[in-house]
Amino acid sequence: MLETLSLMGAGFLNALTPINLLMMAGGVAMGIVIGCMPGLSAAMGVALMLPMTFTMKPETGLIVLGAIYCGAIFGGSISAILIHTPGTPASAATAIEGYQMTLNGRAGKALFTACYSSFWGGLLSCISLYFFAPLLAQLTLKFRSAEYFWLSIFGLTIIAGVSGKSLVKGLISGALGLLLSTIGLDPITGAKRFMFGQSYFAEGINTTCALIGLFSMSQVFILAEKKIVQRAKATKVTDKMGLSREERKQIRPTIFRSWIIGNLIGILPGAGASIACFLGYNTSRQFSKHKEMFGKGSIEGVAGSEAANNAVTGGSLIPTLTLGIPGESVTAVLMGGLVIQGLTPGPELFGKYAPMTYTFFAGFVLVQFFMLGIGLLGSRGFAQISRLSDAILIPCVTVLCFVGSYAIHKNIMDIVVMLSFGVVGYLMRKFDLNTAAVVLALILGPIGEKGLRNALRSSQGDIGILFSSVVCWVLIALCVVGILSPLFMNRLEKKAEEEAVAGTDEDIEVLTQEDSV
Amino acid sequence: MKMKKSDIGVVAVMYFVCAFFYSQMLQLKADSQTYPRFTILLLFGLTTLYLVQMLVNWKRHGVQQGRDEAFLEFQSAQFFVCLAATILYLVLMYFLGFYISTVLFMAAVLLYLRVPYLHAGITIIVILALIYFAFSRFLGVRLPVGTLIKALR
Repeated sequence: MLETLSLMGAGFLNALTPINLLMMAGGVAMGIVIGCMPGLSAAMGVALMLPMTFTMKPETGLIVLGAIYCGAIFGGSISAILIHTPGTPASAATAIEGYQMTLNGRAGKALFTACYSSFWGGLLSCISLYFFAPLLAQLTLKFRSAEYFWLSIFGLTIIAGVSGKSLVKGLISGALGLLLSTIGLDPITGAKRFMFGQSYFAEGINTTCALIGLFSMSQVFILAEKKIVQRAKATKVTDKMGLSREERKQIRPTIFRSWIIGNLIGILPGAGASIACFLGYNTSRQFSKHKEMFGKGSIEGVAGSEAANNAVTGGSLIPTLTLGIPGESVTAVLMGGLVIQGLTPGPELFGKYAPMTYTFFAGFVLVQFFMLGIGLLGSRGFAQISRLSDAILIPCVTVLCFVGSYAIHKNIMDIVVMLSFGVVGYLMRKFDLNTAAVVLALILGPIGEKGLRNALRSSQGDIGILFSSVVCWVLIALCVVGILSPLFMNRLEKKAEEEAVAGTDEDIEVLTQEDSV
Repeated sequence: MKMKKSDIGVVAVMYFVCAFFYSQMLQLKADSQTYPRFTILLLFGLTTLYLVQMLVNWKRHGVQQGRDEAFLEFQSAQFFVCLAATILYLVLMYFLGFYISTVLFMAAVLLYLRVPYLHAGITIIVILALIYFAFSRFLGVRLPVGTLIKALR
């Protein structure tokens, strides 16, 4: 206990160095800019910035990525409130009440509520990160080769179901990623596999290039195929950005409830901020003493959605850092950053690398304060950036993809690989295949392969070793749950969305009747 | 749910990938074949499962195009010009180096997408400055100089 406390304290001291603070501010600002632009996503932003973290210390690099993640989730609310276009899916529910507030001339209040609730949601989510992550990491100490094999399969079953329309297509994407992960030298015998005479592929496919291609370059192609249209002009913020003491008191229970919802959703692999925001919004309406305000611009509605989606951030880091199972695309990219730094999720992060991990945790806490400050001071400016045309974004993001992938090994072949994955990613998205599953398979593939082959070697080829322990069976059961969970999550999301829309319509109907009376 | 015609292409591509990697795998030593064989079988099995699902959907609900929906707002000229410009950018970077090719690429795409001159100019300057300070100065990355520029030096 004392050791953990001292690690936590040391983590804060390390996180408070000028370079870390500078990176937090820069990361949050960048994240908000990316989040508030409807054409860009949080995963894409994190992937694009990944190469910039290579030369940094691991903790600083992770802090930057965490800052972009948190900033982007909050940033989505700015365009949701001011131009009725959620910057990210995580802010879809915020647009319902937030834009109504803007129409009523209360845009400043809506932005303040979003920022304030995001801050508390994010900050409170760090509590579970601090307390549950080390406990869960201890579990993996019981893992041997066979368990690591099943763990990698479990990770894939989880991500395969996320954000795709078809579960089987998600699994196909994962299997394709696993196959691509076999390119390169055999990790045990050193034999050349599928290298097609190119020594470049000796170390396998560069995960970062694949990440940038699948998430960022493919998005450029998505933007390029659509007609370039001028975005709606952001409404001017005319009122004061702030909340009265009464209003703060009013949203306090909502924030607390949404924190719990968001945190649980975050910890559950397979669920993400887009589900949490609707659940947070619906719960805030159910428990509200001012139900009549819903559909007219309720601050509780904005608070419920924003606190929930930001509470996901800390929660989603728990399975990512402890088991190596990211629950959604952004955390899959974040895990890529972790692996590229030479770190493996699991007990090592809380043992050998504990100072680094606790510095990252402390940085994650401090990032929330930067998000509050930068969000409050810069929302008006960010709103203007959110109008940036796709015509400008297309070449800018392309150049950043090129320079980012080149910077890793200073090799033009990396750009070729990135571009190829960009085209593949674009086609995959067009035909409902899952790019996040490919990325995760590229990361988990080698772990699974080592696990499988070492297990088979130790048992002289007896496949029974894969089913020999209780942990193996638990992981197999989790794989089955992982396959089935997207069906449940899709229903949950659909239901929450329907309830949100239906509830708003009902409120408007009641108000119209009242008006006519 | 109706079967999407476009998914026939997806299934065909996956089977092709399986066949290609399988033929390559046979050239490996027995010990190195274990894991690739597992992944190929996994991909093959899942693709076959999807094919069965497609056939069931076709029997029960009929067929829909799929491709038309996916490319509903597709601006072919704009897309292919951007794609060609991106590939050309890569080629130019090899010969002319990063900064010159970036200016040419950005100017060409921005003007093609009808961004006003002033905005285009500002965008190029901002991006170049960002890359110079973030990558060249801060991270110390030596960006490609270009074979032609090297030869001229």
